[in-house]
Amino acid sequence: MVLKNLNDLRRIVEGGPRKKLVLAAAQDQHSLGAVIKAWKENIIDPILIGDKEGIQNICLENNYDITGLPIIHEPNTEMSVEKAVRMTSSRQADILMKGMIGSSTLLKCVLNKEWGLRTGNLLSHFALFEVETYHKVIAVTDVAMNIAPNLQEKIAILNNSVKCLNKLGYRMPKVAVLGAVEMVNENMEATLHAALLSKMNQRDQIKNCIIDGPLAFDNAISLESAKHKGIRSEVAGDTDLLLMPDIEVGNVLYKSLVFFAKAKVASIILGALVPIVLTSRSDSEQAKFDSILLAAAASK
Amino acid sequence: MEEKVLALKKKHRIAIAWAQDSNTISAIHKAVTKGFVEAIMIGKSSEIIKTCRAEGIDEKLFTLIEVEDENRASVEAVRLAKTGDADIVMKGLVGTDRFLKAVMDKENGLMASNATLSYVGAIEIPAYHKLLFITDPAVIPYPDLDQKISMAGYAIEMARKFGVEKPKIALIGASEKMGRHFENSADYAVMCKMAERGQIKECIMDGPLDLFLACDKKSIEIKGVETPVNGDADILLFPSLESCNPFYKGLMLFAKGELAGLIRGTIKPVIVMSRSESEKSKYFCVALSCLMA
Repeated sequence: MVLKNLNDLRRIVEGGPRKKLVLAAAQDQHSLGAVIKAWKENIIDPILIGDKEGIQNICLENNYDITGLPIIHEPNTEMSVEKAVRMTSSRQADILMKGMIGSSTLLKCVLNKEWGLRTGNLLSHFALFEVETYHKVIAVTDVAMNIAPNLQEKIAILNNSVKCLNKLGYRMPKVAVLGAVEMVNENMEATLHAALLSKMNQRDQIKNCIIDGPLAFDNAISLESAKHKGIRSEVAGDTDLLLMPDIEVGNVLYKSLVFFAKAKVASIILGALVPIVLTSRSDSEQAKFDSILLAAAASK
Repeated sequence: MEEKVLALKKKHRIAIAWAQDSNTISAIHKAVTKGFVEAIMIGKSSEIIKTCRAEGIDEKLFTLIEVEDENRASVEAVRLAKTGDADIVMKGLVGTDRFLKAVMDKENGLMASNATLSYVGAIEIPAYHKLLFITDPAVIPYPDLDQKISMAGYAIEMARKFGVEKPKIALIGASEKMGRHFENSADYAVMCKMAERGQIKECIMDGPLDLFLACDKKSIEIKGVETPVNGDADILLFPSLESCNPFYKGLMLFAKGELAGLIRGTIKPVIVMSRSESEKSKYFCVALSCLMA
């Protein structure tokens, strides 16, 4: 199955039991708005942890009806994160979401050795874009978490993302390892990594996907462009997942898609015990809602 | 190979450095008699004549050039090739180091510009259904990526001269898996992608592959590995001299293998064989060099 747009995620969510989402430091207008909307639309069952008065004030100001929603009062933001993480690691919640708190504080708790959400896997960022000019949604990793992943880290990032796509119904997602060119160039490390990842995939050392690379961005998403260059590839022109060479390329692509191409985006952190919604404060409420939807779909 | 050489209908002129070696003279004599070679013997004329007569060969079949020592013999052979008076250079009784020094001399040698010097062998084994090309058993100890790419290019070129239009080239490792402990597997993966993208042309390439997967279809079935080489390799590229060299020597000793080989990366074919090599092997080499000239 292939997702044509982000709304298709609802079909996955509707098929399964309702997921519990815990919002840490919930006194944050954008996060609350998105969480409550997702609750009203039967996507998740939320648990709010944070400053009760602050939460209630925001709800009053914005006309959010939260009758029946569990709120755990914890005015100390760091403690509220710890409680949320402990709740998740003890399986009382299926999704962790960041509210009014810095990402680093939340991640520190996630990585806590005693009560955190470690699995031994690398944490990585996974974004799903709906762009009008592409025939389906396209996943991009890693645009926000790993700065300059080495080969082993790229393998871990790929495994996280492929596992997630498999859960979303992609049996064999098509993965393009992105470079500036589709040729192998010894002076461009990304192209060497791409060749190695392709071969590991051929040898079944990276499973459940079809990898090709290096592919330049145009060859990855446009069959015409790939044909023009004479590239024979199962992936070119029909990519499901783009693996970025580093965070700088990834971040710029992410922001160009959002600002220039008016793309819709959903994103989560993978590699922990559960999906984590860690959108930034500057993300729109829609992006936060879609991220919750993605987390719910990916958390079965 | 002989058929192919005779079909060329051209006589090649071979300059042999320090030629007074009976195996070499016999091999050359055979090639001259077959009519595809003219020989220029460089060395001590008296010694050459003596060796010829001991073998019952008429020395008048050859052009003799008198020089005093083996260094001068090498330099003269290389000079003849450089000026176009010879098409092929062959090492006689000279030590390999001294001979290659003359070949590789920057001003007067035979190196093609920016070329990698390497060695490609063609080996005939009764147990394999076709000629097998191997590289590099003699020149580059631990080839890096660029050198491996050059080696592949030379081997492909040679296989194609033998009529294998799109040779299957197996990049040999201890396993078909990519592993952090197998440094060569990273180079191999890069080369495969280059072949896929047309950066290495005219071949079907896969690796890492172990020798079974490269040359034995049964192993492919048993292991279930998907590879375009499919147990039918024309060329084996080895990760090091120390793996390739014992491979061909093992085949010669235990599997009735016959090897012919050439130095590549020079502007004219250069034959370097160990002094202990048989007359038959030397004859094969001479034929091969004519084919590649």
